[in-house]
Amino acid sequence: MGRVFAVTLEGKIYSCKHCGTHLALDDDIVSKSFHSRHGKAYLFSKVANVTLGEKEERMMMTGSHIVVDIFCVQCGSIVGWKYETAREKSQKYKEGKSVLERFKISGPDGSNYWVSHGAHFGGSDADDV
Amino acid sequence: MGGVEDDEPPSKRVKVTSIDSGGISNSLYLRQRACTHTLSDSMARLLATEGDDEVVGSKGIIKKVELVRVIAEALYSLGYSKSGACLEEESGIPFHAPEIDFFMHHILEGQWDESVAVLHKFGVTDETIVKLASLAIFEQKFSELLDDGKVMDALETLRTEITPLCVNYKRVRELSSLVLSPSQNLLDGTSSKGSKLESRKILLDKLRKLLPPKVIVPEKRLVQLVEQALVLQKDACKFHNSSVGKMSLLADHQCGRDHIPTQTLQVLQEHEDEILVLQFSHNGKYLASSSGDHLVIIWEVLDAGQVLLKHRLYGHQKSVSCISWSPDDKQLLTCGGELVRRWDVTLGECLYIYEKSGLGLVSCAWAPDGKSVFSGVTDKSIIMWDLEGKELECWRRQRTLRNADLGITSNTKELITVCKETVVLLFGWESKSERFIEEDQIITSFSLSEDGKFLLLSLWNEELHLWNIDGSPRLVSKYKGHKRSRFVLQSCFGGLDHAFISSGSEDSQVYIWHRLSGELILTLAGHTGAVNCVSWNPANPHMLASASDDRTIRIWGLNQVNVNNNGRHSNGVHHCNGGS
Repeated sequence: MGRVFAVTLEGKIYSCKHCGTHLALDDDIVSKSFHSRHGKAYLFSKVANVTLGEKEERMMMTGSHIVVDIFCVQCGSIVGWKYETAREKSQKYKEGKSVLERFKISGPDGSNYWVSHGAHFGGSDADDV
Repeated sequence: MGGVEDDEPPSKRVKVTSIDSGGISNSLYLRQRACTHTLSDSMARLLATEGDDEVVGSKGIIKKVELVRVIAEALYSLGYSKSGACLEEESGIPFHAPEIDFFMHHILEGQWDESVAVLHKFGVTDETIVKLASLAIFEQKFSELLDDGKVMDALETLRTEITPLCVNYKRVRELSSLVLSPSQNLLDGTSSKGSKLESRKILLDKLRKLLPPKVIVPEKRLVQLVEQALVLQKDACKFHNSSVGKMSLLADHQCGRDHIPTQTLQVLQEHEDEILVLQFSHNGKYLASSSGDHLVIIWEVLDAGQVLLKHRLYGHQKSVSCISWSPDDKQLLTCGGELVRRWDVTLGECLYIYEKSGLGLVSCAWAPDGKSVFSGVTDKSIIMWDLEGKELECWRRQRTLRNADLGITSNTKELITVCKETVVLLFGWESKSERFIEEDQIITSFSLSEDGKFLLLSLWNEELHLWNIDGSPRLVSKYKGHKRSRFVLQSCFGGLDHAFISSGSEDSQVYIWHRLSGELILTLAGHTGAVNCVSWNPANPHMLASASDDRTIRIWGLNQVNVNNNGRHSNGVHHCNGGS
């Protein structure tokens, strides 16, 4: 493909597990208690170098939301989702923020995360508070 | 209007001596009047017609009196004095009062006092204008007296005539100093030894510009108005891409799409991988392309328009993301795999490799004098070498990110880089000045116009922003419609006078906008992959090149069928789309 445009982040960086493209900064973590099908997930106030999929209404643990899947701009693998609209008032704080699945990203120390048997397979999303 | 030979019959006009058309406008020629009317009420009549409210035209904004006077001026300018006089008679609208003719005569004959007297009879309400005009006349008188050696008379003029009028006392002092050193001259650089007539003509032109248009219709006013209309038509023509030479007055100007490249004339298939950068040389005779297969190809553009492979440049270990042609188009810089190579275009050989140990190079550009080379570095600095690789300068501290764009202007001697995600830096490398352009969105790439006055930014949110960087940077236009979500897409200026903006797009099409209006005028389909780059031939407004992930370069040109049939019978030869 052509020359992919990716910004370079500075700080404690979470990057795509497959290709190393910078995705988010540790400072932008809002909550670490989210879940996805593959286990843990973090909510970030902003992410970089992702492309957006189609809008979809999804029922999540905390209610119905309109979300878009997000993909790494370099390798195209799905890395999480972004909240566009939350139906419940109490969930409005998520709007505009993105969730990155811990399974799909390498941590700032280079560590990866493996899906464990104890992972919450029931559904995605989380409460926080 | 008394004071001037009232009883002279109008048919016998006072003739001005030895006028050549160079120095004085035709319309002020004293003309033979084929008609008669009395002198005395002509100025009164002129002023009376000013109050006439009759309008011409559907919008009701043109005063008939003014239109007739402007037409009369045009007739006189063209030399048709009889027609001009007839128009005045038939319409009853005087072109200008005969006082003007007398005024002119007095000036050219050097009858200063008489001319000032007539000046006051023009009915000019603005006192300052009368003063300035009188002043100009007296200054002429003063300098001519000095030239003739009549120093006492000159001083007399200075004291009694110039000084009372002068608002500018500095001027009085300047003039008096001239009395002491008469070798200097006043008259706007014309030699006092040259003809007096010449300087009097210059004075007359100056006075003509000073007096209000109601008194004297500005020279060639009708032609000026027509030219304004034609220029507006040309600017409004969205497809205008060919020199039209003389425009027709008979119908509004409107180019069709026939003058913009819309047809694929050639498909170049020498690359074996996606094509990343494309750039025509300054003289439009060569095209350089780089591809994912690490190869750079130089193509030659023949006079007939065909593009042929000239050289394959082997050597880079990684894909080249930045190309820069030398100002004389004899050499090429390519940046890829963290180093920069300099190539000879004729021989296709690598002349030099620039490196910075421990660091990578991300962009490259030639200095306007062709004697040095600039490059962006991975540590955010910019480096300058001479051709032999000696490091001349290194500017540190957040000068550039990893964008493969390095712009350079020759007039303001500035380097242009993206120094922060949403900020462009214009850095004067000699003056050390810094100017910034700030955007709200991430800047993915940019392109600089050939004259160095405009910067086109390609933003993350699928918009192109055009900035005028001549002077204080200001946003001029935005262009939208193309698709960009993952790649760096190259955009460019093009066409006659840079009338168009073009960009590649991830939907496989080439997009073309009209620069002034911002309107998307064309999308060119043909590629089967994202179009990463576009380059418009700077020497040929009818040739556009685009390159794509489908591994091909397409050369676009005018639609051959329409061009041949334009106004002429077809010669029977059938041209099909798709070219060769």
